[in-house]
Amino acid sequence: MIELRQELARASAMLDVRRFDEASELLARVVSAEPESSRAWCLMARAHLGADRYTEAVSAARRAAALDPADEWPHRLASNALVHLGNYADALRAAYEACRLAPGYWQTHVCVAQAALAAQRLDIATEAATRARGLAPNEPDVHFLSGKVSLARSDLAGAREHQERALALDPGHSGAMNELGRIRLRRHDTAGAIRHFISAARATPDERIYSRNIDVVLLRTVSRTIYMFTLIALILIWIPAVTHVDRLPFVIALGTVAMVTAICFAWMVLRLPREARLLVRRTLRTPRVAAALALALGGVAVAFGLVAFTPAADLAQVLPVAVVITVAARLAAFAALRGAVRKH
Amino acid sequence: MEPEFTVLDSLRKAVEAMPDDVPLRLHLATMLLQAGQRDEAVRQIGAVLQRDPGNAKALSMLQGSGPEPAAAAGQPPADPPVISPERPGVPAPPPLGATQPDADPGSHPGEAGKTSHYDWSQAEDELRDVLPAMFVGDGDAADSASAGIDEADAYDAEQAGLTLADVAGMTEVKQRLEAAFLAPMRNPDLRRLYGKSLRGGLLLYGPPGCGKTFIARAVAGELGASFIAVSFADIIDMFVGQSERNIHELFEVARRNAPCVLFLDEVDAIGQKRSQLRHTPMRSAVNQLLLELDDVSGNNEGVFLLAATNHPWDVDSALRRPGRFDRTLLVLPPDAAAREGVFRYHLKDRPVAGIDLAKLARSTDGYSGADIAHICETAAERALMDSVRRGEPRMIGTPDLEAAIAEVKPSLGAWFDVARNVALFANEGGTYDDLAAYLRKRRLI
Repeated sequence: MIELRQELARASAMLDVRRFDEASELLARVVSAEPESSRAWCLMARAHLGADRYTEAVSAARRAAALDPADEWPHRLASNALVHLGNYADALRAAYEACRLAPGYWQTHVCVAQAALAAQRLDIATEAATRARGLAPNEPDVHFLSGKVSLARSDLAGAREHQERALALDPGHSGAMNELGRIRLRRHDTAGAIRHFISAARATPDERIYSRNIDVVLLRTVSRTIYMFTLIALILIWIPAVTHVDRLPFVIALGTVAMVTAICFAWMVLRLPREARLLVRRTLRTPRVAAALALALGGVAVAFGLVAFTPAADLAQVLPVAVVITVAARLAAFAALRGAVRKH
Repeated sequence: MEPEFTVLDSLRKAVEAMPDDVPLRLHLATMLLQAGQRDEAVRQIGAVLQRDPGNAKALSMLQGSGPEPAAAAGQPPADPPVISPERPGVPAPPPLGATQPDADPGSHPGEAGKTSHYDWSQAEDELRDVLPAMFVGDGDAADSASAGIDEADAYDAEQAGLTLADVAGMTEVKQRLEAAFLAPMRNPDLRRLYGKSLRGGLLLYGPPGCGKTFIARAVAGELGASFIAVSFADIIDMFVGQSERNIHELFEVARRNAPCVLFLDEVDAIGQKRSQLRHTPMRSAVNQLLLELDDVSGNNEGVFLLAATNHPWDVDSALRRPGRFDRTLLVLPPDAAAREGVFRYHLKDRPVAGIDLAKLARSTDGYSGADIAHICETAAERALMDSVRRGEPRMIGTPDLEAAIAEVKPSLGAWFDVARNVALFANEGGTYDDLAAYLRKRRLI
């Protein structure tokens, strides 16, 4: 018995320092020697969860639940793994079971809220988050989850309040920083969002999702810039046909559109922190983004050239071709950017 | 711990230290056979035959008529030695060329020693000339090492057995090591002249499998100090039981063995940010470690602190304050010369012919030492399978290694992903400037 306790303590210590594979190996030996230990199976489920082996985590958690039906932990572990597997209905059922077994424990309500949020059952999630806050008002994770629920309900002010409370309770809570970034993004504040994502990445560099968020936001900004540029170009292309202006003002208009777009982008970039500016440079240099920019600029230039060098009498035939070229350039640029996002 | 494991471990270490000592290898093979570890025994016999193809004893052992262990050690046994099972209650398989043991397989090895009249302490004595002591301190301390995991003085204080000259390539790392750590240690007069303090330790960091532990051992060799290595498993064991006492004992062992390099491998496990350890008993362990570090830097001479980690960003910042692990050294993936050395090391005991080391080193830029070991293993496997198919053995050649290189991908990608985040977002105060410079050079940021 003492040896089992020591082995479990050793496994717990490994899990605390996020050595999930080593813990799995140790626990595999423990459960083969002591297959009736519910705690060993729970720790095994936790190790599998940490190593993203969700199916195995569910099996281990169910084994633990069968051995100790009165314990809520196996159900929470199973619920967590089932959410990752996309089985939201079972995840919610497991969370409810944990809650039934330990209604006074805040983590069971957090578990219900998480599963309900994944299943898009926002009323249930809100209710569970409220209960969790009532039970543990000083737990940062409770406020973090409440903020996520509020954001899912598009209550941006409430979401921000909860995340700021989570950060007040735990200034290093990188999840809350990331959520604040997402809230800023919903408010179309790209620079503010990136600042929060950078804080999150700084606090937890091992978590790749934060730096990925920065990359995705930058790509989205490039995509929007291309969208605006091609849209304005599409409108300008019609000017010679409508107003019969000379070539020079038309070329000047094209140049002005390109310059204004570039200035807007540069202004956004200059508002970013130094680290993000480095990333912008790197993003613009990646082959797919460079190709997207070249396609958009090249397509619009060809379309403008066609319109500018065609006599006024033939404009009616050329104009649809120019429009098609511009739209095709935009679509091709978006396709290239989508490839870049997928790669990230 | 069972006594035969102590002997076997000692023998393994001795063989590692003296790989060309054929009688020693034969002795280890005999002991392994006796312990029922047939696979490893056959490997050792194979290694003997590689060095001495006509060795009659090795051949006879392969044919299943090996000598008894005491006879191999020059001591005629009174009775056939008792072989204890690896796990109590599980009988060991009958050893090659040995009779079925007649003692109770589940009995304690000490008792088994009495029933068979096999003198374990004598066997240990025979090895004393060959090996440094397994455990430091007096005999009682050594005995208590097997008593349980709470006994923290069960650490090996050994001679490093190598110096920086044994580390192939990595000139830049050696130069920085010399400037940051070794030169002040080796020149006490100059140190006093310039008022350079000896306080603080050195934290080696870098991707996994790139030789941090090897370099730490070489540093101990350079300083002529004994070496205590604390592995991840030891660290985890410290937390099971009385962690504060265990850590204190560890430092006491180091002080008793001064001059001594105390090397904490994977220090992020013990020095995790305390904010991440709010609900665990490890937090108190980190506090104790801080206390001991301050004590070492303040009151003790001759204890040099080295630590290694793959994740320095996870190490509690308190551990990295002046006087603790205040100097850092980035150990990068091996350069071309080092890769050649790693290839040479992993191929030296294998049947190879016409290996173009320079070419292999060129093709493995960005691979870790562990990756290269895996490449050699894969190439050997390929040659072995080919030999089985053809029905005749053949040597490992450059094509085998090139095919293995194509098969084995560098394992450092995930580490560099995180390192990129650190260099971009967490390089406060320029702590990771050298890492950022390397990443820029390789166009990773």
